[in-house]
Amino acid sequence: NERNLISAEGVETAKPTLPHDFKKVNCNPDIFRCTLNAIPQTSSLLNKARLPLGILIHPFKDLSQLPVIQSSVIVRCRSCRTYINPFVVFVDQRRWKCNLCFRVNELPDEFSFDPVTKTYGDPQRRPEVKSATIEFIAPSEYMLRPPQPAVYLYLLDVSFNAVETGYLSQFCQILLDELDKLPGDARTTIGFLCYDRSLYYFNLAEGLSQPQMLVVPDLEDPFLPCPDNLLVNLHESKELVIELLNQLPSLFEGNHETGSALGAALQSAHKLMSPTGGRVTVMQTCLPSVGPGALENREVSGDSGKNVAHIGPATDFYKKLSLDCSAQQIAVDLFMLNGQYADLASLSCISKYSAGCIYYYPSFHSVRNPGLVDKFDTDLRRYLTRKIGFESVMRIRCTRGLSIHTFHGNFFVRSTDLLSLPNINPDAGFGMQMSIEDNLQDSSTISFQAALLYTSSKGERRIRVHTLCVPVTNQLSDIFAGADQQAIAALLAKMAVDRSLNSAISDARDAMMNASLDALGAYAQQLPSSQRNSSTILAPHSLRLMPIYMLAMLKSVAFSLAGSSKVDTRVYAMQQCKVLPPCYLIQMLYPHLYPLHKLSDENPIKRGKEEIPSAGLLQLSSANIERTGLFLMDTGEAMYLLVGSAVGDQVCQDVFDKPNFASIQDGMMDLPELENPTSERIRSFVNYLMDSRPNGVVFLVIRDDSKHRHLFFQHMVEDRTESSMSYYEFLQFLQGKTKG
Amino acid sequence: MSTYQEFIQQNEDRDGIRFSWNVWPSSRLEATRMVVPLGAVFTPLKDRPDLPPIPYDPVLCTRTTCRAILNPFCQIDYRAKMWTCNFCYQRNPFPPQYAAISEQHQPAEIIPQFSTLEYTITRATCHPPIFLLVVDTCFPEDEDLQGLKESLQMSLSLLPPNALIGLITYGKMVQVHELGSEGVSKSYVFRGTKELTSKQIQEMLGIGRGAPAQPQQQQRGGAPTNQQQLQLPSNRFLQPVHKCDMNLTDLLGELQRDPWPVAQGKRPQRSVGAALSIAVGLLECTFPNTGARIMLFMGGPCTQGPGMVVDDELKHPIRSHHDIEKDNCKYMKKAMKHYESLANRAASNGHIIDIYACALDQTGLHEMKFCPKYTGGHMVMGDSFNTSLFKQTFQRVFSHDSKGEFKMAFGATLEIKTSRELKVSGAIGPCVSLGVKGPAVSDTEIGLGGTCQWKMCGLYPTTSLAVCFEVVNQHNAPIPQGGRGYIQFITQYQHSSGERRVRVTTVARSWADASANIQHISAGFDQEASAVMMGRIAVYRAETDDGPDVLRWLDRMLIRLCQKFGDYNKDDPNSFRYSENFSLYPQFMFHLRRSQFLQVFNNSPDETSYYRHMLNIEDLTQSLIMIQPILYSYSFHGPPEPVLLDSSSLQGDKILLMDTFFHILIYHGETIAQWKAQGYQDMPEYANLKQLLQAPLDDAQEILQTRFPMPRYIITEAGASQARFLLSKVNPSQTHNNMYSFGGQINVGGDSYGSEPADGSVPVLTDDVSLQVFMDHLKKLAVSSSS
Ligand SMILES: [Zn+2]
Ligand SMILES: [Zn+2]
Repeated sequence: NERNLISAEGVETAKPTLPHDFKKVNCNPDIFRCTLNAIPQTSSLLNKARLPLGILIHPFKDLSQLPVIQSSVIVRCRSCRTYINPFVVFVDQRRWKCNLCFRVNELPDEFSFDPVTKTYGDPQRRPEVKSATIEFIAPSEYMLRPPQPAVYLYLLDVSFNAVETGYLSQFCQILLDELDKLPGDARTTIGFLCYDRSLYYFNLAEGLSQPQMLVVPDLEDPFLPCPDNLLVNLHESKELVIELLNQLPSLFEGNHETGSALGAALQSAHKLMSPTGGRVTVMQTCLPSVGPGALENREVSGDSGKNVAHIGPATDFYKKLSLDCSAQQIAVDLFMLNGQYADLASLSCISKYSAGCIYYYPSFHSVRNPGLVDKFDTDLRRYLTRKIGFESVMRIRCTRGLSIHTFHGNFFVRSTDLLSLPNINPDAGFGMQMSIEDNLQDSSTISFQAALLYTSSKGERRIRVHTLCVPVTNQLSDIFAGADQQAIAALLAKMAVDRSLNSAISDARDAMMNASLDALGAYAQQLPSSQRNSSTILAPHSLRLMPIYMLAMLKSVAFSLAGSSKVDTRVYAMQQCKVLPPCYLIQMLYPHLYPLHKLSDENPIKRGKEEIPSAGLLQLSSANIERTGLFLMDTGEAMYLLVGSAVGDQVCQDVFDKPNFASIQDGMMDLPELENPTSERIRSFVNYLMDSRPNGVVFLVIRDDSKHRHLFFQHMVEDRTESSMSYYEFLQFLQGKTKG
Repeated sequence: MSTYQEFIQQNEDRDGIRFSWNVWPSSRLEATRMVVPLGAVFTPLKDRPDLPPIPYDPVLCTRTTCRAILNPFCQIDYRAKMWTCNFCYQRNPFPPQYAAISEQHQPAEIIPQFSTLEYTITRATCHPPIFLLVVDTCFPEDEDLQGLKESLQMSLSLLPPNALIGLITYGKMVQVHELGSEGVSKSYVFRGTKELTSKQIQEMLGIGRGAPAQPQQQQRGGAPTNQQQLQLPSNRFLQPVHKCDMNLTDLLGELQRDPWPVAQGKRPQRSVGAALSIAVGLLECTFPNTGARIMLFMGGPCTQGPGMVVDDELKHPIRSHHDIEKDNCKYMKKAMKHYESLANRAASNGHIIDIYACALDQTGLHEMKFCPKYTGGHMVMGDSFNTSLFKQTFQRVFSHDSKGEFKMAFGATLEIKTSRELKVSGAIGPCVSLGVKGPAVSDTEIGLGGTCQWKMCGLYPTTSLAVCFEVVNQHNAPIPQGGRGYIQFITQYQHSSGERRVRVTTVARSWADASANIQHISAGFDQEASAVMMGRIAVYRAETDDGPDVLRWLDRMLIRLCQKFGDYNKDDPNSFRYSENFSLYPQFMFHLRRSQFLQVFNNSPDETSYYRHMLNIEDLTQSLIMIQPILYSYSFHGPPEPVLLDSSSLQGDKILLMDTFFHILIYHGETIAQWKAQGYQDMPEYANLKQLLQAPLDDAQEILQTRFPMPRYIITEAGASQARFLLSKVNPSQTHNNMYSFGGQINVGGDSYGSEPADGSVPVLTDDVSLQVFMDHLKKLAVSSSS
């Protein structure tokens, strides 16, 4: 029961203990990590540890350095098709032993040929062997068809509700701004399809004097109004695209149609995109109410209690369509801008199986909800311009004896180890649960390899390969010592989502508590009896945060049964659990809390040449909140700046340009740019935080006496609330259970 | 009264009416023995620029079952300010505004010369006319579409600026275009294979829904509301010409050929039926009972969806008369049902459907004929939209009269009132029955009967109806000496200016006792009116009965007429004579029975429908030309003269000008052709040849200037292949087969004639009987005591 479980610098990331040369080249844990950095040799040993075994991967993460190889020969194991990697064993100069299936393979001559010296040298100097993450430019045998152009189709809700939110003008302006930065080449293709009760197509054929809007009001069995020019070459039709984006908001100004035919629009998108595949971006502001895929409001007011209903889809329409899209290399991304219930549980299926992504802006409104406007702006700009891969598949291989049994994330599982990903984006994370099928005694290490085959936006076929190596152990203590608590928490969160959907949220909550109990119990079991102490909870250093993470999960929007979170909000949180890379997922569950008043230049964070002042992390307990301080809560998607009620007048003046606490405006959405060190320090730090994430963020100043104060304090996971335990009580509860 | 001829002419000029009989048999029994029914060819809106404007409502008889309109045949009691209805004998007071009338001071409606008068109903709302263009985009060549686009663009300048206009285009899909939108052009797209109800169309086009919701818009602090959105939604598709002509000109200019690919060996997927259905539906829900004109342009047959007449396989030819006879038409009946139901819907809403069909092959006019027929629309047939024939015809649709007003009227109803000795049997023409029963409705139906009111959605100064009557007076109820029968025609319509007008024509004819004074009755026979009326009846029967039956019926009627009114000794054909005013009638019948109206096998079903359509709407003069074409001969021997439509008129040194209504043909005799070939006309000494050649050209131009639709204009010469058009029309008096003989029955249905062009020689190669043979047999049968 320590007070400072988390050091000011944050939580260290566990890494596998490997021989030095392996450790040096092993895959970056931000890309690829295992819940256990020492793999039990047998499944019975794993059972004794009572820890989940799985891997988390962030395969298309933006990287500052990535070796890219264009070579006539890509060396792979002839038996299991593993790509040669740093963890293979060179039997001699001409042969290598596969680290996954142990087959000895011949090395092709070219592999060790040095074009500079024109001699055959050491294969170890090859980048494939020097880097655990590498990218190949693939030759034609990796193509089923010529690489397709980047194709972008925008599906825009223009119903009364949509127009009312004001998103359309913002969307059009942002797309206009970023049009030249869309990833692609001379072949880049673009199209627009608006919908309310009808579908509005746009013929943007090069040479037209103005865009032609084709309205299809008949939703029954959607058809395309013309055979071509609904998707056009962006460069050839650029003027028309710009004209359209300028006109779109006024075209639907004053639209009174409340119906939304999203289902039909998606069916049409599927038809339009089928020949090429590509990316469909949907902007949806309400519940689809007409035509195929129409949904009904299932939300019951005050939805809470033991059994939360309707977190699963109401229809298989969107799943089926999503699978059809996947088969044609089409991914569907959803931007949900709804204020009222829109049944995200059903709609999200369209993205889930087509490897799309989902953004959610509850109650988006350009005037009434300005905080989200900034977030939407940042998100959309990033979304439009971030790297993208098309026609993608990801294969996960692992050393013989291990097998993957469950996948988490957005994709379609094409075969036991192959995920179909029509699009891959740099923010998508995946998780896999594994089991040990055979003894792993053949080797002291095992490896995982993820190979992502995709078409770049420039029309190149590429393969990105990540290989992770982890030692094998027969010692329970090694297993506990090597446990990666963040990865474990992240994997447990994904498993809890499945449990919630397949069974009930209450079952998932039981499983979370049991996971802590089991792991801690198992740890205590293997300790010599002398070390066991009945009055304390014993946890290895590597798992010290597990109870707190579990408590955070129990109190999270996704799994809490106490609050009355809206179904869509909960479903979105669950979806985030499935797709967020672990660091963002952990931050979502257990946000970062900084005492801004303690920012100092002493231990600066270095960003390029810039030095950012820093402040240590605080645990999420109200005990850490002082009335005289400024505190920043960073949940990943939102930042809340809490102004203590006794904050000094000088701080008020320096930071907010106000004489005292009473005159600070509650709900401010940015900080004034003031020329004094305090202001500059705080802004520098906040900006640094904002820039260091892929998504936009809601920024809100909350006064200690604000009616919005719950936004801040709801994240105080360690506090006790009317319906939930404090961290201390939770530990006592766990202790009671372990003994019993 | 001088002669009947003058009487007939006067009446036609004043009232636009010609009766088959101008003296009426006074009993039912005698009337049935007249063979040719008592009837009339009536032109409701005959051009009468001399009529005085009457800016008030007509005065009606107060008897609720009568409601006849005050007319010159009413008795007036000037002292009591009362008038007696000549139809029901009701005494009616004049309304107060007539207080000043006296024998010296008469309102127009009781002055004898105004038996036809037109009232303008000033309190009715004015509706500008509506034009909805329905345009095909499936053309194999760009030129056709180009020609059509230019014609349509040109037509915008001919429309009144306040007229509403709309545009629907179709190919595989049907597009309803929004007009007047800026920045982005908008159209609604419908699948061409789907039948939509009017209600569905209304919903899908957002008509009548989403009326401006002012409060909601004001709640938004955002941009000010656009003026355009405050208008009624239907206006997006039908805009005043002055507001959208620029926009529409651009829209038409950018119109592309249907973008859907057409596979080898296939016809384009052309959704005529769906497009027309949407057009009818759009007007039905936006402007019911308002004058509107759907102008359908088609470059080929409907190949998919409702109303398809042929599938898209080129190897399947479109149906012929043989296929129809053998009941071998897969799509015909269903298509006819589709178009007939559309025609009925349009008609009941007062909307006109024109069909402009230009293609080398058939387009389905046979199936679609109901549309123009029921609504008074135009049916125009041509080879290509890029021809002057189409362009000039189309331009003529928008021609104006001397007052600068359109020669078209909208949404008319015709009501007929009769004096009690008469009833209406029916009407034949571009109309539908309104099913209004009444005391004047006869049980015997000829044409569209069972009603005393008809709807005529579109009508023009020449539009004419054949109307038949039944004398119901019983033999034992004699009509007093000097008694007259009356008929009143009341035509209410929307003038092209938008005004609601009522034209009233009241006619009177004397009764005669046929048993005592048959010569009075026969003297009043109008053989031209009778021929045209019988022509309409025959075609009406042909549309429902089989062809040969109609021919047999026509023959029987002719023989009976000759028996009744001829002068002869029994069984002595040589003794047969009839009076002057019957003399041409057998000839008319001869030409009618061998005309394209009744002989179908040398034409396509589309052509037959087209010819019959024209005969069904045109006035008496034009109809007579159709039945018996006019032939003029030009020679050095004197001024041009009308000559017999006979092969004997084809002479080497003469030029012939033939007008069949559908064709204007100039034929150079063999000698003339030779001279012309040698260029004599260009030599100063042969200036008279030049003049001779020019004269028929000038006369042809005169006809071409006014005829609608533009006739096919042919200049040909002896021996040329196009001479067949002439040879097929002339009476084959000199054929290779003059000895052709047949039994006691005149029946030549189904024979082909003129199938081979003559090689310039005079005899006509045909198996058809000559007029001489026909007349001989007619006389023989008429005088026979056995028949
Ligand atoms: Zn292998
Ligand atoms: Zn009366």
